[in-house]
Amino acid sequence: MVTQLPPLNRAFRAYGLAVGCVVLSSLAAELVRPYGHLADLAMIHLLGIVFLSLRSSVRTSVLASIVSIFSFDFFFISPRYALAWSDAESIVTFVAMVVVAGVVSTLSENSRRQEQAARATAARTQALYELNVELSSSRDAHQLAAVTARHVSKLFAVPVSVLLQTPEGTLQPAESERDRRLSQKAWLRREFVKQSAPSGTAIWIPVVGAHSSLGAVGLRPNVPFEQESEQGFLLAACVNQLATALERVQLAGAVRRTQLEAEGERLRSSLLSAVSHDLKTPLSTMIAAGSALIGRTGEIDPKAADEILRSLVSEGERLTRLIHNLLSVTRLESATVQLRRTPESVDDIVLSAVERFNDRTRKVPIVSDIAADLPLISAEPVLLEQVLVNLLENATRYGGSDSAIAVYARAAEGAVLVQVEDDGPGIAEHEREKVFEKFYRGQHAPKADGGVGLGLTICRSIIRAHGGKIGVRERTGGGTLVEFTVPFAAAREQFSREASLDP
Amino acid sequence: MNRSLLLVVEDDPEMRSVVSFTLRNYGYDVREAATGAEALSQIQTRTPDAMVLDLGLPDIDGFVVTACVRQEHEFPIIVLSARGEEQHQVRALDSGANDYVTKPFREGELMARIRAALRRPVPVAERRDLNVGDLRIDSTQRRVFVRGKEITLTRTEFDLLDTLARNADRVVTHRQILRAVWGAEHVDEVHYLRVYIKLLRTKIEQDPARPTRILTTLGVGYRLVSAETLS
Repeated sequence: MVTQLPPLNRAFRAYGLAVGCVVLSSLAAELVRPYGHLADLAMIHLLGIVFLSLRSSVRTSVLASIVSIFSFDFFFISPRYALAWSDAESIVTFVAMVVVAGVVSTLSENSRRQEQAARATAARTQALYELNVELSSSRDAHQLAAVTARHVSKLFAVPVSVLLQTPEGTLQPAESERDRRLSQKAWLRREFVKQSAPSGTAIWIPVVGAHSSLGAVGLRPNVPFEQESEQGFLLAACVNQLATALERVQLAGAVRRTQLEAEGERLRSSLLSAVSHDLKTPLSTMIAAGSALIGRTGEIDPKAADEILRSLVSEGERLTRLIHNLLSVTRLESATVQLRRTPESVDDIVLSAVERFNDRTRKVPIVSDIAADLPLISAEPVLLEQVLVNLLENATRYGGSDSAIAVYARAAEGAVLVQVEDDGPGIAEHEREKVFEKFYRGQHAPKADGGVGLGLTICRSIIRAHGGKIGVRERTGGGTLVEFTVPFAAAREQFSREASLDP
Repeated sequence: MNRSLLLVVEDDPEMRSVVSFTLRNYGYDVREAATGAEALSQIQTRTPDAMVLDLGLPDIDGFVVTACVRQEHEFPIIVLSARGEEQHQVRALDSGANDYVTKPFREGELMARIRAALRRPVPVAERRDLNVGDLRIDSTQRRVFVRGKEITLTRTEFDLLDTLARNADRVVTHRQILRAVWGAEHVDEVHYLRVYIKLLRTKIEQDPARPTRILTTLGVGYRLVSAETLS
């Protein structure tokens, strides 16, 4: 909107201009007087009035023309310095001056008014356009409310509150008791609510969608405000845009929920089949092994008993890892996953994972080669360890316990690059993307080994959550090479010993 | 010699009997409690030498039990919990537990932790020579010997080693170490620790790439291993 000066200030300026014009034209006439006729001096006064009329209201111009007449009469018509005139010629001049002032100022006022109206229309169109652009790039209801509040507040130069209908079917509460009442009324009855009070006029208008009332928008205008006015229409237009945008977002949300439900359903059924087949395998072994020993501890050869107990424990451990992976999937897939990242050293994480495998029944130890002086990475260490454990477990499963498995870590463009390789059968090229899909198991996967096809899915979720990448390649000389990156920690979390002043 | 008395607090009867059975097998006296309240009243009647505590008790949360016990008692608390997430471990250790073993656990692991916990940590006030495996730390003169040979450590490195050594065989959390070595205002600067652990390892480990003395518990802290458990 066009900025408007306070009324007093505006009047002061208008009258100042008028007085200035009169005084200046009289001074100019005084300068010309020794050389010109009286008619010339009258023309100079007329010029001043025309100049003023182009810029002032009718009332000011006519008043100024009368003052100008008196000034002309007083200073220039003889007898000078007296308010008296004799001839008809002067009277014609006077009348002409008043008429010219009236006509010119009326014309210029009209054209000014039209220009102002055009400018207001342009500003309104611009404001609505800007609101529309920003609304269409917003994705959730609260963002829409905030955008609308900001735009409307800018338009009317007062604070604006936008209240939305909550999922429970109530309206968000307004700050004051009075606003709560008014906003409820606007929202429920879907009508324009205006209430004047000593503390100021409050306006609430409903946000009405195609099917329901979606909320209410409230403000306290600092100038008189009518529903059926330019401002009223502008506000209504803004609120309508909000309603349309809100319905769009609601619709998009509904579509997404349906998709998620379908995806969830698919996951549940795959999970059920995985649980029924694969979790049962180790459990069966454990129960069989344990029951074989019950009541017969004396009869069984201690060596055989030991063997049975060993498999009982190792099956239990496998079950633990499986459950751990299932839990991780649940956590990583929930929308609110928040990593607890700390500056970590790559050595610690790699070693921790590798040692877990070298502890067990490996014939050939896993080799690890970590570049010296790698910067710290920003990671949730236990999750990264899980990535490595899953990769090493795959390498062991497909390459056998005597396969050559190696882990390498080195710096690569602002991140650490970790590679896990084995000399097993490798993964066919067309499978290298698919192996990361949920419940997908490669063609070399043993049938009943307790794997459910989640390991790499989890690896990918974890690495992506860390802002890294993971992929499968063929190892030079045969076998599988899985590599992933994890970004380095920020510079302020890198700690140089030189800076620590440690004697 | 007096046999140590251990209190096993666990609500699941199967688990409780397995743990008690194992502990008795190793020659400890064992008492059992199924709830937090029962545990606290047992402690009132007779103070145990150590407590094995489950976090998920039906009445009082294990963290609360730990805090209650710590108000009056110094005996070691070993948490035995199915909650494996490292933030639970950190919380239990920071609130006064001495060690944390996650379920499912291996017998050997639990026994090693109990043995370590029963060897009381050396209070700062009692500064004297510390022998941790083949490490000897002379706290008064701030000198360190590895297999009889003296090594030079910076002030921070020494403080770090000293902190770990006084709690040998126990996991000391990042915050505990940072508070002890760098001061309370630096408890979140984990990166200091990463760098100094690395420096310390290059000085006291035989193969710094495969540390056997200072072990990492990811997301929780570090543990200095004494020779006894080293083998």
